[in-house]
Amino acid sequence: MASAQVSSENAEQAFIDQIITKHSGQPGELLGILEAVQERHTHKYLPLETLRYVANKLDIPLSRVYSVATFYALFNLEPQGDNTVCICRGTACHTRNSRALLETLRLELGLGMDDAEEGGDSDKLTLTTADKKFTVRTVACFGQCALAPVVEINHRICGHVNERTLQREVRSLEREND
Amino acid sequence: MPQKKISLRIDGELVNAVEGQTILDATRASGKSIPTLCFLEGLSPVGACRLCMVEVSGIDRLFPACTTPAQDGMAVATTSARLSRYRRMTIELLLVERNHVCAVCVANGHCELQTMAYNMGITSVRFAYNFPRLPVDLTHPRFVLDHNRCILCTRCVRTCAEIEGAHVWEMISRGIHARIVPDLNQKWGDARTCTNCGKCVQACPTGALAEKGKAMEEMVRSTTAITSLAHRRGAAV
Repeated sequence: MASAQVSSENAEQAFIDQIITKHSGQPGELLGILEAVQERHTHKYLPLETLRYVANKLDIPLSRVYSVATFYALFNLEPQGDNTVCICRGTACHTRNSRALLETLRLELGLGMDDAEEGGDSDKLTLTTADKKFTVRTVACFGQCALAPVVEINHRICGHVNERTLQREVRSLEREND
Repeated sequence: MPQKKISLRIDGELVNAVEGQTILDATRASGKSIPTLCFLEGLSPVGACRLCMVEVSGIDRLFPACTTPAQDGMAVATTSARLSRYRRMTIELLLVERNHVCAVCVANGHCELQTMAYNMGITSVRFAYNFPRLPVDLTHPRFVLDHNRCILCTRCVRTCAEIEGAHVWEMISRGIHARIVPDLNQKWGDARTCTNCGKCVQACPTGALAEKGKAMEEMVRSTTAITSLAHRRGAAV
């Protein structure tokens, strides 16, 4: 068990080294590196140890790496669920009642509405279910306003979503997982 | 190579400057003043506080004096009704953003934000206070970080990166969630890169960074020490 962990860590470091060599010397290399590293991770996130390794390899301050990773909403510092449902909270989608979609989905997945008062409806929300099957995110706009309200399910854009179709999509994902 | 001499008008007065100087440099060299918070001589200017905004004739929008290069023939106004309105609002919004309670602050009486508010005659704030719930980091053996008093000027970030060379501090997140944190959002006491030099504490304009053991009104700092360090460093390079 322990040796398996060590070898996967080595594999990850080898991958990071490879990515760093590929990007080295380019302006803004950190962004591309972090993106590739996150994409490779099973849970699509950047553990602190990875950030530390990248900073040491690139010889840049730890604080700079952390700053970049928190500035961009698409970098995750927490493990993500197997499926990602991303609800648009842009103006067009809001007027087409995307808040109701978000609320229904949160209740459906048992994510609760505890933080609804402060920041629960903010434009940068990431919630993962306890069983790590689903992550619910919000985004400011997909640029697909004609299809409002828009929901992105595992990188597939769905337009004109209502509570029923969203429920159906989520349940079919649940069945696939079982 | 001799630097190119330029001349510009500041508040109607003809002022000589050297190419490469900013509007702020030229103004201060001529004995006038522009209010600033995030600017500290010796550190690279960032234009974060927006207090040094000036009017340039012929252009409708305002320019930050600390980052705008002075140009030959430019006519700059450093005071006007519009500018004081904007500057006042900037200070009010800074006060609203965090929990600035002067009466119990270590920097009371030595705070640049407070001084700026006094000078502009700000006795009340027109906007609703945010009252964010923010932590205080007491883990460092000698210094305190109080997010409630931070105005995100990034002076500590630049002092640490440019003068000490440790780059412990950086801004994380953005907008209303932005904060100054050491290393990987660690406790200050656990930040291995920190050299405990205390330069960030000297550079802080408010009571956000302070020395431990100081009671209210006792945190007197020396920003000129940072400036002279920077000049000495510049001379050495």
